[in-house]
Amino acid sequence: MASVTLKSFIGLRQSSPENHHPSITILSKPLPSNQIHYRRLNVIAGKSSPKITGRNLRVAVVGGGPAGGAAAETLAKGGIETILIERKMDNAKPCGGAIPLCMVGEFDLPLDIIDRRVTKMKMISPSNVAVDIGRTLKPHEYIGMVRREVLDAYLRDRAAAAGATVINGLFVKMDKPSDKYAPYVIHYNAYDGKVGSAGKKVTVEVDAVIGADGANSRVAKSIDAGDYEYAIAFQERIKIPDDKMEYYENLAEMYVGDDVSPDFYGWVFPKCDHVAVGTGTVTHKPDIKKFQLATRLRARDKIVGGKIIRVEAHPIPEHPRPRRLSDQVALVGDAAGYVTKCSGEGIYFAAKSGRMCAEAIVEGSENGRRMVEESDLRSYLEKWDKTYWPTYKVLDILQKVFYRSNPAREAFVEMCADEYVQKMTFDSYLYKKVAPGNPLEDLKLAVNTIGSLVRANALRNEMAKI
Amino acid sequence: MTSTMASFSSTTPHLPSFSSSPKTRFPINPFLSLTPQRHLLFASVRATENGSGAAIVVEEKKEFETKAAEEDSLGNGAPVAEVVVKFEDPKWVSGTWDLKQFQKDGATDWDAVIDAEVKRRKWLEDNPESSNNDFPVVFDTSIIPWWAWMKRFHLPEAELLNGRAAMVGFFMAYFVDSLTGVGLVDQMGNFFCKTLLFVAVAGVLLIRKNEDIDTLKKLIDETTFYDKQWQATWQDEKKE
Repeated sequence: MASVTLKSFIGLRQSSPENHHPSITILSKPLPSNQIHYRRLNVIAGKSSPKITGRNLRVAVVGGGPAGGAAAETLAKGGIETILIERKMDNAKPCGGAIPLCMVGEFDLPLDIIDRRVTKMKMISPSNVAVDIGRTLKPHEYIGMVRREVLDAYLRDRAAAAGATVINGLFVKMDKPSDKYAPYVIHYNAYDGKVGSAGKKVTVEVDAVIGADGANSRVAKSIDAGDYEYAIAFQERIKIPDDKMEYYENLAEMYVGDDVSPDFYGWVFPKCDHVAVGTGTVTHKPDIKKFQLATRLRARDKIVGGKIIRVEAHPIPEHPRPRRLSDQVALVGDAAGYVTKCSGEGIYFAAKSGRMCAEAIVEGSENGRRMVEESDLRSYLEKWDKTYWPTYKVLDILQKVFYRSNPAREAFVEMCADEYVQKMTFDSYLYKKVAPGNPLEDLKLAVNTIGSLVRANALRNEMAKI
Repeated sequence: MTSTMASFSSTTPHLPSFSSSPKTRFPINPFLSLTPQRHLLFASVRATENGSGAAIVVEEKKEFETKAAEEDSLGNGAPVAEVVVKFEDPKWVSGTWDLKQFQKDGATDWDAVIDAEVKRRKWLEDNPESSNNDFPVVFDTSIIPWWAWMKRFHLPEAELLNGRAAMVGFFMAYFVDSLTGVGLVDQMGNFFCKTLLFVAVAGVLLIRKNEDIDTLKKLIDETTFYDKQWQATWQDEKKE
């Protein structure tokens, strides 16, 4: 088993022919031979991590959102003693709430968790050119809209059913071990369901920690994971009259424009019985209220007569933290910074990374019989980067090209009218695989994209002359 | 969690066509019937965040409170009729430009279509409008044929750049000839001269203003920046 681990590790280091993105070749910079020796030693040492006697491996999952819930369930199923610490069990999180189709299958989500199935989207350009996308969707394909409190609770309950101990508490700090296999001491305030109390101070010893506590992760702070740039997402939940709600029955809208956001988009997403109207920005955070007003203005005719029932905001990471793991502590989900650019999607990636990290721990510890090493957790990072890097990179390129300026956004909306674009977009979004596509169509698409961008920029230059 | 109510007043009569009125704007003020309870909301918003978002929330709160003060002085409880200026143009029919109205000498005057669209976009950039399902905008710039774009935008610029390239080329050819005695025909056969020619053409194409050099450098950084952010966790490992 040691040689198999070795081969896969080195395999990543060399540029393999079937990889078609540049990052892996960057990873494969040739290491000087003394370092390679060190790496080999490291992996072999991992293999001889001590067997645990009398108990199973103990892992704490801090944070009970999709990442924490998925991680805890996989750990518990793998025979590991798991505790899941969540500070607010009924937390209605500010979130778009969109999940791709593949998540329903991969995580066996019951269909009643999904409030709405979005099968149509409308993209609206700065000059209000509106394009409908979704014609290419097959009848069984949809984007699921969920209420976060429902989804998160479901995943946590499933983790509890699998054997994890779900604790209502707030993670305060973590004492790092002085010794290699000594336990981590987690300090948390146990609330036990009592609202408003300061909680009882509790400590617990664990062998590994998964930080799934979101964008403002305390676990990340305690391992000096570093900071990331973040966007502010601001959202108002608006209850609109029934006849207006019919329009949003299975349709979501995306508004682009400098008025709505200089580097992101404004949205109207249907929720269970109201719509969420929001926008976000990285570079102009103080102006977020202005952008929100502009978004409401653009959607005004469709939400007229609506009442705001809730206002919420939250930071959204723009890229992963510089350090996603340290010794036996790994970050997953928003805490690690796994939110895509361009669409700002995070729920699926949070759940998937939680699961992947837990699987790495289960494998590295041989179902809880051995201690885990940092190299076991690193294999989760490798697998994650290898699987999802293309998706993240493509979305980054899309954001850089199409969210740059108003002409770029006009071109973006024009391109969305193309059926090939719609098919590729939905295939990649719903199944989280960068679909290869037809080379001839890709060429046509490239030509059309350049044409749209050129036209829009030409118009923009003329506009500057007025 | 405190909740708050705000209601929107419905849309209002249009102003007469945009060509006759200057850009007068009436402020759209949907907040008029807000209660002063709004600032309490931000306390609750802060509670939903994990504490570290506090700095941002405080900013919003300050901004918002000044806005509330403004509105209270403007409004007096009774909703004021909002007057909304919309883009109107006799040639803009059913969400697109009516090409029949752009006829000149029997053929469509594409330059006029381009001018009209430019004016529309400029108007909308300064006065963003609500997107309405009953009056969808369906104009697509690709209905304007490629040669109209070429004639209007590409050709003048191409003339300019070719002129620049020709001037630079002539001078460089003369300069090299005077220094080395190698004539124009022999220069074209030399690899170094061909490289210089390539650099000159690329330079003329890419660098139009001094700022373009910085822009290009930034663009090159941008293409690899995201990759570097993802690799950061692996840099750590190599140091071990």
